[in-house]
Amino acid sequence: MISVSTLLTFIGMAATTYCSRILGYLLLGNRNLSPRAKAVMDVAPGCVLISVIAPYFVSSRPEEMAALIITLLAASRLSMLPTVVIAVTSLGLLKSVFN
Amino acid sequence: MNTESVRSETLRGIKDSFPLMFAVAPYALVLGAQAAQVNLSSAEVALMTGLNFAGGSEFAAVQLWSVPPPIWTIVLVTFLINSRHIIMGAALAPHLQHLPKRKVLPALFFMADEGWAVSYADTLRRSLNAPHLRAFSFPYYLGACISIYPIWVGFSVLGALVGPHLGNVETYGFAMAFPAVFLVLMRSMWKGIRAARPWLVSLVVASIVHLAIPGAWFVICGALAGLFCAYLWALEE
Repeated sequence: MISVSTLLTFIGMAATTYCSRILGYLLLGNRNLSPRAKAVMDVAPGCVLISVIAPYFVSSRPEEMAALIITLLAASRLSMLPTVVIAVTSLGLLKSVFN
Repeated sequence: MNTESVRSETLRGIKDSFPLMFAVAPYALVLGAQAAQVNLSSAEVALMTGLNFAGGSEFAAVQLWSVPPPIWTIVLVTFLINSRHIIMGAALAPHLQHLPKRKVLPALFFMADEGWAVSYADTLRRSLNAPHLRAFSFPYYLGACISIYPIWVGFSVLGALVGPHLGNVETYGFAMAFPAVFLVLMRSMWKGIRAARPWLVSLVVASIVHLAIPGAWFVICGALAGLFCAYLWALEE
C-alpha cells in the first residue's frame, strides 16, 4: 500500500516536470523572435545535450575516456545505430581489458 | 495531412528513436534496481516513472529517498534538473505555432530529452532539405517521443522486480549509449566550428561544475553559460 507522503511526492514531481515542459512553449507563445534571440535558440539544443553528457568528458576512468574518443570518431562519420553499437561494444570490451 | 502520411510519419519517428532504446532501457533498469534498494515497490516505481517521465529527476529522487520522503527537497531538485525542459520547449515553440494548444499541451507531456532531440534534429533537417514542407512534423514527434514512454516505465518496473538478483548493470558497456546518441544528434545540428563555440563553452562549464559541485547543477550551469556566450557573440555580429 502506497503512503500518502509517497503519493504526494510523486504528484509534486510530476506537476513540476510537466510545468517545465510547457513553460518554454507558453512563454514564447506567438511572439516573433529577434535575430539575437533566434541565434541563442539555435544553439540551445546543443548546449543542453553537451551539458548533459559533460561528465563523460571528465571521467577519471581510462576505459571510459578511450571509449569516448572512439565514440566521438564514430559519431562524426556514422549514423545513429552503428555509432551506438560501436560505443557500447567498445566500452564493454575496454572494461574487460582494464579490469 | 492525410491518414497515410500521418501513419508513415509516426512510423518514421518510431524508427528514428529505435536506437535510443539501447540507451533508455538499461538506464531504466538501473533506476528500477536502485529504487528497489531504497524499498520502493514496483507499483511505486511504475507510478513515479509513469507520472513524471523524466529520468534524471527520478534518479535524484531515489538518491534522496527516505521514509517519509523529503518532499520539498525532491520537488526542488526535480525542478532544477528539469529546468532544461524550459529551454527545450522554447527551442521547439516557434515550430509549434500552427498547432492548436489542445494538441500541443498533452503532447508536451512526452517531451523527454531523447525524443525531443530526435524530433528537433528532424525539424532542422526538414527545414534545410524540404523547405516546401512544414519543418516540424507532429506525428513524427509523437512517434519519436511516445515510443520511449512504455520502454522507460516498463524497464524501470522490470529493474525494480529483477534488480535485486541482477548484479551491477553498470558493469556492461551501455553507459556509452547516451553520449553516442547525443553526439550523433549534435552532428546533425552542426553548422560549422564558429556556430559551435557556445557548445564548447557549455562543455567546459558543465565539466568544471560537475567536478566541483555535487548533484545535477552542471546541466543547467553548462546550458546557461553556453546560451549567455551565444547572446554576447550575437551582439557582436
